Amino acid sequence: MLTPAELVWLIAAVAKGDEAAFERLYAATRAKLFGVVLRILRRQDLAEEVIQEAYVKIWNSAGRFNPGLSSPITWMTSIARNRAIDVVRKRSELSIEEEPAAMEVAADSPDPLARREMTEELKRLLECVGRLEPDRQKLVLLAYYNGWSREQLAAKFETPVNTVKTWLRRSMMDIRECLGL
Amino acid sequence: MMAYSEDHIALAAEYALGTLDAEERAQVETMMSVDKDFTAMVGAWEHKLGVLNQMVGSVEPRPEVWDKIRTATGLAEPQAPLVLPDAPQPPVAPEVSEPAAVVDPSNVIRLSTEARRWRNIATLTTAIAAALVAMIAVAVYQPDLLPEGIRPKPRTQVVEVKTPSAPTPSAQYVAVLQKEGGSPAFILTVEGATKNFWVRRVGASAEPGKSFELWLISDKLQRPRSLGVIGNGDFTARPVLASYDTDTINTATYAVTIEQAGGSPDGKPTSAPAFTGKLIETVPPAAPAPSPAP
Repeated sequence: MLTPAELVWLIAAVAKGDEAAFERLYAATRAKLFGVVLRILRRQDLAEEVIQEAYVKIWNSAGRFNPGLSSPITWMTSIARNRAIDVVRKRSELSIEEEPAAMEVAADSPDPLARREMTEELKRLLECVGRLEPDRQKLVLLAYYNGWSREQLAAKFETPVNTVKTWLRRSMMDIRECLGL
Repeated sequence: MMAYSEDHIALAAEYALGTLDAEERAQVETMMSVDKDFTAMVGAWEHKLGVLNQMVGSVEPRPEVWDKIRTATGLAEPQAPLVLPDAPQPPVAPEVSEPAAVVDPSNVIRLSTEARRWRNIATLTTAIAAALVAMIAVAVYQPDLLPEGIRPKPRTQVVEVKTPSAPTPSAQYVAVLQKEGGSPAFILTVEGATKNFWVRRVGASAEPGKSFELWLISDKLQRPRSLGVIGNGDFTARPVLASYDTDTINTATYAVTIEQAGGSPDGKPTSAPAFTGKLIETVPPAAPAPSPAP
């Protein structure tokens, strides 16, 4: 599997218009990005659209990737995930009911990126999330992994939206302090 | 970086978390387009939280997606087959992985701190896995518990799990199978009423020529009983638990061993369990809001 350094190199090549590098970058990262957006969108067709848009954006903005600020996979995943969140927020009034075969996913996942040992950064973040009260841990994780809105979280925790708003804000501030951001 | 108010910081953090509404997200994007420092702050949050995606399983998109990307980027014109250039050696960069905990017998305090830290992380990863799987289970079995808006239409099966159609809501049991202190490798969910179970692969891949086989180990039984080979897909669903009584199912240890391709030839595990777990979480059998069964 490709190391972060190899991904950085591929992105640099993509920035110069290297199509072969783009294809290799896609092959190395598509399953991870698709897994992340599918969890949020929960619909194959929407997830595919988002993935297409994300890779087009990656192709167009590879020159702006700064390896000093982010890891390649985080940068790429953020592009895809932000797009997915935009889509669910804009569609929030729609349900997924019109989708005939939601999440009929051919689910084979040979991507070893997911299988790497936890990085030190993940351990640090999990430590900080772990210091939140149990309900707030769940709140933050459900928000991040499933892309839930404050309204959806409020329904899940049977709590007013304003309370969720306060909880989210405090949780993020606590995490910030814990991480020393 | 200039000093930002707590409101700004919270906005950046919640943008990265994903909980802002569409209008707030548009505001943040506008701010990012005019303020480099604010963009950097959002980026820092995205980076900090982004590591959570290490826990998310990969799913292959269909091959058509690549064709569409090529078309959209103008790369789809007929052309000679791509020849991969000789890749220059990438710069030698340190891998992000961490050396194992410092082995220094004199440094007992540090070691025990490290051990405690690992225990905390292990507990939390179990919580993550349980939260994720509870969500999936709710979507499949108790759609009425989901918030309005993402609630599937009755009868729409939202996850790629082969369960009998239209199951009635019933108790859910979940086991996270992991190595001691390791991240979850498999998540086993048992549906109380039918005893159907499904296994979700989250962090393990079988070596070529090997298979993962799932076993039920119970002091009520004389030897481990095979529950079958876990498929290569993200999900494997099976009904074989139906022949065991509820008590056995609830108290058993579930273990995964690494066997030759296709599973153990004689119905006995040939290696020590690589991942183990017990059923730990129950989704209560009745939905709070009564509703007609799908």
